[in-house]
Amino acid sequence: MVESIVSTGLAIGCIYALIGITYNVMYSASRVFSFTAGTLGMLGGILGALFIARMGMPVAAGFLLALAGGALFGLVTEIVAVRPVLKSLDQHLYVLSTLALALMVQQFTAIEWGTEARPFPRLIDIPRGGFDQQFWLPMLACAVVIVGLELLHRRTLVGRAFLAIAEDTYAARALGLPERRLRMASFALAGVIGALAGFAGGQMLLAFFGNAPLLTFYGFVPVALGGMGNNRGAVVAGLLLGLFQQTANFLVGGIFASVAVFTVFILVLLVRPEGLAGGVTPRRV
Amino acid sequence: MTLTRRQALVSAGAAAFASGLAKPAIAAKDPIQVGYLPALTGPSSSTGIGINRGIQLAVQELNAAGGIDGRQIELITRDTQSDPTKAVNGAAELTRGQKVSVVFGPVNSGESLAVVPLLARTNTPQVHPCWVDTLTDPKKYPMCFRNAPTNQQIGAAANRYVVNILKKKKVAVISDTTGYGTASVNAYVPMLKGMGADIVYQGNVDAANPDLKPELLRMQSAGTEAIMPWSVNAGFLSRIINTRGQMGWDVPIVGQTTLGSGQTKDLLEKLDYWAKVYPNNFRPVCYQSDGQLTDRTREFLDRLKSAKIDIGDTLLWWIAIGYDSPRMIAEAMKNAGTEPQQIVGYLNKLKGFAGVFGDISFTPEQHDGYPDEQVVMVEANSLKDGAFRLAPGYGA
Repeated sequence: MVESIVSTGLAIGCIYALIGITYNVMYSASRVFSFTAGTLGMLGGILGALFIARMGMPVAAGFLLALAGGALFGLVTEIVAVRPVLKSLDQHLYVLSTLALALMVQQFTAIEWGTEARPFPRLIDIPRGGFDQQFWLPMLACAVVIVGLELLHRRTLVGRAFLAIAEDTYAARALGLPERRLRMASFALAGVIGALAGFAGGQMLLAFFGNAPLLTFYGFVPVALGGMGNNRGAVVAGLLLGLFQQTANFLVGGIFASVAVFTVFILVLLVRPEGLAGGVTPRRV
Repeated sequence: MTLTRRQALVSAGAAAFASGLAKPAIAAKDPIQVGYLPALTGPSSSTGIGINRGIQLAVQELNAAGGIDGRQIELITRDTQSDPTKAVNGAAELTRGQKVSVVFGPVNSGESLAVVPLLARTNTPQVHPCWVDTLTDPKKYPMCFRNAPTNQQIGAAANRYVVNILKKKKVAVISDTTGYGTASVNAYVPMLKGMGADIVYQGNVDAANPDLKPELLRMQSAGTEAIMPWSVNAGFLSRIINTRGQMGWDVPIVGQTTLGSGQTKDLLEKLDYWAKVYPNNFRPVCYQSDGQLTDRTREFLDRLKSAKIDIGDTLLWWIAIGYDSPRMIAEAMKNAGTEPQQIVGYLNKLKGFAGVFGDISFTPEQHDGYPDEQVVMVEANSLKDGAFRLAPGYGA
């Protein structure tokens, strides 16, 4: 039981953490909370299955194309659902525009791909074992993303520009940073991370259009608990969520496991509205 | 020459009388229009595509044999695209625009839930193969008939197999959280208890939950002797089968037809895991205990093959329902007439219509025509030519 809680819990927690990071990357660049993050995860799984299992492409080619598909959807999100509402952020219109785009893509996927879950291919041709690739691939993907983002933000000029935009959009623009292009690059990057989450977790979650709402909801929890825009908080909260959810599956089971997860989520937010790892941001007056 | 008012009235009356006499002679040669509402595209189209192959063959055969009293049958098809809204639009157009004599379909319950009340309001006879129990009601929908089993019959057959044939008393009943799943569990658990079964596990689980091992461990520790999953979600069902296989547990899994579908098979980690999985099916279109199809079904299968109808990617019972439906409607029209009341009057007294899918009977009080004993369980891993072998334990 403990082995199952740890392996499945950490794997699913890593997928939630990656979706949480997807939310954060889009949020940092635009202050828009885009509800297309879960849809990106769903697309990663379905595009992977489409390219590798159905079209017979090599795993590497299918992987790159799935990530490219995610990046493309990230760009479309920025152009179609985010850019038009940036001028009226205070009205929270992005909730409607990003949610509408997510629902449209989900329905389109259901029609074209089908409403049945379909198999996601085995990515590495090794025999199944206790600690199978379906568990360690999401963990590996999560580690790669954390390290990659750290390197991007600390070692590259583009990464520092991302941080500048996230810190203060107006000041960054005043300094001559190309805010729109950086925002588009952030959404493309978020698309890649979201698609990677779905691709790495494809063997667990299968290629299923219904994964979109699941990932949208459960990917939101690490963001809320870890603090908006805080990737480290999202990772810690995502892993805790996965472990807690799997423990609840064993202890109470069925739909009560979901009830337990959201009860704890609400209780934590009541005690610490800024999230477990979030700090109170002072407001300039 | 001037025309008086009286002469004009007489002329008009004569013309009307003459046209009234001539009309039946012309109409008798017109084709008989039968409305047809299949889902040929969209997410739920696999059933519709299978049924459509049977329908087309039956209409072709009926017309080749001279139609109904010399009148050809013309199928007026409206693809519902698996969408209840489009099904309603199609039904409205068939009844108001085309004025069809009778409608077959829709072939999915979700669409039928929207269409049945509409057709009832327009007094159009309807035959459909959908399973949701409320889709027939001789009082509310006196012109609507079902030539397929109800969900009650499906659940009862699975329960009979577990309790009476496999002799298993400790049963785990699990479903997904959809309306179908929860309604099935709520309906079938009391039936099982009434048969003396002990429900040692009962649960609803989100179909997208990637790990069902906790649920199966709970079932195992409760002493489960048979698992009964109720879901149409192949992902959910395959996870139950895969987890059972990983645990090395050989408990039988008995339930809905999707357990034996190609989508479920595609999601299995090993094909061996499909052993001891018993989905619902229908005795007339199964390989019997001697491994053979019945004469009627074998003859039908040969006819499908000679007509070059593909059965490799669909199920025989879907094609059989499609094949039987226009033949049953044609029999009613041939014997009683093409007017709505005549068709309904005949169907209300239909007794033992010998279909490939099953023997259909109706009464004025009972519009669910499929016999209980023809709903059976089969071996999921025995699919050949669209048909399955009867599950172990059924007599000849």
